[in-house]
Amino acid sequence: MNTALSRANSLFAFSLSVMAALTFGCFITTAFKDRRVSSLNQVVLWDKIVLRGENPNLILRDMKSKYFFFDDGNGLRANKNITLTLSWNVVPNAGILPLVSGNGYVSVPFPDTYETTKSY
Amino acid sequence: MFSKFNSIPTHMDYKGQKLAEQIFQGIVLVSAVIGFVYGLVIEQFGWTVYIVLAGFAISCLLTLPPWPMYRRNPLTWQPALPESPVETAQKPETLKKKKHK
Repeated sequence: MNTALSRANSLFAFSLSVMAALTFGCFITTAFKDRRVSSLNQVVLWDKIVLRGENPNLILRDMKSKYFFFDDGNGLRANKNITLTLSWNVVPNAGILPLVSGNGYVSVPFPDTYETTKSY
Repeated sequence: MFSKFNSIPTHMDYKGQKLAEQIFQGIVLVSAVIGFVYGLVIEQFGWTVYIVLAGFAISCLLTLPPWPMYRRNPLTWQPALPESPVETAQKPETLKKKKHK
């Protein structure tokens, strides 16, 4: 017998199937998008976690880089436009994670040859 | 009091059931396509989900209650046969003969 409940059941099942197909479509398009926008060429040099209540005034003069200048290809050596920026996430208890970019940046050219390691 | 409720027709006829199914499938599929394109453009899958849920709610409203539009092709039943003792006695016999053939 076709009751409102049986119709609700088939409608719910159909919507779930459609949602599953959409989720798969989302996965597929993001996979292709990652290949499309692979021109994201940045490397993280330094990070720090600032908890709520801590002093957010960071004095970063004469900082050494915390992570290496990893070159995931050959774009760093002899590049004349290496731009240093600072950006941060504000981590919420729940919800979206905003990425805020700081004002200002420094652009420097990189040398044409690799240098040997200096001991600090 | 209950006879008043019973007199309200709550069924769908067969064509109405088919129509209801086609309507909800159409609405959910169209909202899925719209939501997918919108989500692809603004790159937020959450909006795709919201739009599909909106289509789900609309089709719930349209196809779950037995609206009169799903009752426009009523079945034509055979008219009730006049009851007589001779006929009722003969009928099972003829039926059985037909089955044996």
